[in-house]
Amino acid sequence: MSNVEQTTGSAIKAEIRAYIEENFLYMHPGLEVSDEDNLLALGVMDSLSFVELVEEVQERYGISVQDVEITEENFGSIGALTRYIEGKKA
Amino acid sequence: MCGIAGIVRPDGARPVEEVALRRMARAIRHRGPDGFGLALGRSAGFVSSRLAIFDIAGGWQPMRSEAGGTLIVYNGEVFNHPELRAELARDGIATETTSDTEVVLKLLERDGLAALDRLNGQFAFAWWEPEPRRLTLVRDRFGIHPLHWSLLADGTIVFGSEAKALFASGEVRAEPDLGGIDDVFTTWAPRAPRTAFRGVQQLPPGRLLVWEGGRIVTERTWWRPDYSPRTEPAGELEPLMRSSVELRLRADVPVGTYLSGGLDSSLTTALAKEASDHQLRTFSVAFKDPHFDERPHQLEVARKLGTDHHVVDVGPAEIANAFGDVVWHAESPLIRTAPVPLYLLAKETREQGITVVATGEGADELFWGYDLFKEVVARQAALADPESAVEVFSELYPYFEATGAARGPAWARFFLEAGPADDPLFSHQTRVAATAAVKAFYAPDVAQLTAAEDRLGALRDSLPPEFGSWSALEKAAYLEVTTLLGPYLLGPQSDRVAMAHGVEARYPFLDHRVFEHSVRLDPSRKLQGTDDKIAVRELARKVLPEGIAGRTKQPYRAPQAAPFFDGGAPEWVDELLSPAMLRATGLFDETKVAGLVRRCRAGRATGYREGMALVGVLSTQLWHERFCGPHADVFPPEEGEPQVFIKQGIDQALERV
Repeated sequence: MSNVEQTTGSAIKAEIRAYIEENFLYMHPGLEVSDEDNLLALGVMDSLSFVELVEEVQERYGISVQDVEITEENFGSIGALTRYIEGKKA
Repeated sequence: MCGIAGIVRPDGARPVEEVALRRMARAIRHRGPDGFGLALGRSAGFVSSRLAIFDIAGGWQPMRSEAGGTLIVYNGEVFNHPELRAELARDGIATETTSDTEVVLKLLERDGLAALDRLNGQFAFAWWEPEPRRLTLVRDRFGIHPLHWSLLADGTIVFGSEAKALFASGEVRAEPDLGGIDDVFTTWAPRAPRTAFRGVQQLPPGRLLVWEGGRIVTERTWWRPDYSPRTEPAGELEPLMRSSVELRLRADVPVGTYLSGGLDSSLTTALAKEASDHQLRTFSVAFKDPHFDERPHQLEVARKLGTDHHVVDVGPAEIANAFGDVVWHAESPLIRTAPVPLYLLAKETREQGITVVATGEGADELFWGYDLFKEVVARQAALADPESAVEVFSELYPYFEATGAARGPAWARFFLEAGPADDPLFSHQTRVAATAAVKAFYAPDVAQLTAAEDRLGALRDSLPPEFGSWSALEKAAYLEVTTLLGPYLLGPQSDRVAMAHGVEARYPFLDHRVFEHSVRLDPSRKLQGTDDKIAVRELARKVLPEGIAGRTKQPYRAPQAAPFFDGGAPEWVDELLSPAMLRATGLFDETKVAGLVRRCRAGRATGYREGMALVGVLSTQLWHERFCGPHADVFPPEEGEPQVFIKQGIDQALERV
């Protein structure tokens, strides 16, 4: 992985974390979420939050998310989502 | 149309005080600004505040029948009273007034409670039979008019059109009922008999109860929406709707209409225009924000029909400034600001000299116009073939947008994963899921207490035995009529905000004959694919241009969080949402609410759920402050001479002692 790509990846992760914190984590004061924590299992996200999150991802990164791609493997955690976006942009 | 209230004790141990009745009259004066009347016996007292519509001079209440000796306080209208009066006359029963109140009283004396089936109208009343000391409370079929009651420890029953009359009696304290509040954040309003107040019950639509000797001796349903198969043909909608509108134009004062610009109110207005013998006046809410505004459609209908049209222009400041009063009239937390513009519309209507309006309410429930019905069809289809419904989902609930962006693929998934298909509440799973967002803001102990009650389980248990045999759309219609139309749309969004200004709303689609027609109608005449209210549109095409008759529904709604956070928001918003006030009320988590408020201030809480949460929290704080807090409203007694004051024969058994 080149330096440029590494920078992009961590920037995406920081942006995704900031978005999750701003929009959803305020409802969970004191909750620490690591990059690989499952957002559904923690109750941070639900199916309607995913509507908003998927919209945000499509708009911000200019990618098209397919229905079959909305899985926990791709959207379940901050880390998973970062890898998914990187993969789509690659 | 009026406000009613009363106190009846099981025996003569404690008298009912006149001053308590006068306070109750004052608490509901807005419902009947034309004057008040009293009836006071030793341990029974009744009060009526009156909005005079039929027999302006002779229709004062409480009204007692000299022949039968029974007494009534009555809120509402029985539209077919002239026909019923003629029938009484044929039976040799004379009437002294031309009011519907007297007709109802004499029918009750002749037929007992079997008389209810004969009444075509909207009403809530208390009927007092002094000899057995029996009180009967009755509420109309759909719950158009409210009726609250409380049974005290000593067997005293206190009742009133609105809960505030009970508090004004001095006999009932206003305290929050967590279950009633949790109902608001489940299906938008407390589900009768529950209210947001502990110990205060509301009589469910179509129910009656009988109090005798300090106990409720009978409580039964006399009408409810029933979708069981009919053998009779549906007949035609047109003559029924024309008859329903004609009946609802009956009044000794001029009748206007509310015109939203949509199909139902346009049709109501067109039929009213044809049946009206005076220049019809129409009233509309317009929004300064074009996102919500339907003004061009309203003006088009008004121009086409040649009505004398009035517009109330509503912006964020008007919504924020009137919100506190609307919550006071609604007597419940709210999750939407939508009742506010209708409150302002009623104010303007009254100022224009109109006290009765016909509206299009009810058509979407009877003829399956809401997106909810299309959602049910699409979700059922999707169970077999998920791909088949994705396009339909993308058209549903335009107001549900999270950010204003186009819907993505996760949108369809929300519907597909909303809940099991064999759940009786299948049709309402998505609404319940979305509305529950407000519950996430509960304080921890409130969350624990409310979660301990199975609210949806109680709703399932309340369903009638035949429910399981109805079609998915009939089930959806039953739930829509009983959980949303009655408790919310006809309550906080109609009766409460109209009666706040002494304006009576009438609903031609909610004539029980129109309901019966809608049930008999073949389902394909209601909803087919995405074509909705087919029979209604066919009728509309006869009296309105195609552009209006074929118009797609634009759901009525108003700006949610934004009005409370722009520069001109009232000071009480900050105060009520402050950590100190949230702690004092004790219902919401102050840290979570602070996060929500921060997002609202930054203009980021634009989503459907956060808007609902903000309105839910703020209205609950307001509601608590006005009713339950240390500075809750107090009700001084009504001064002056009552129009009627009956002092004899109220409590015959006790008066003889």
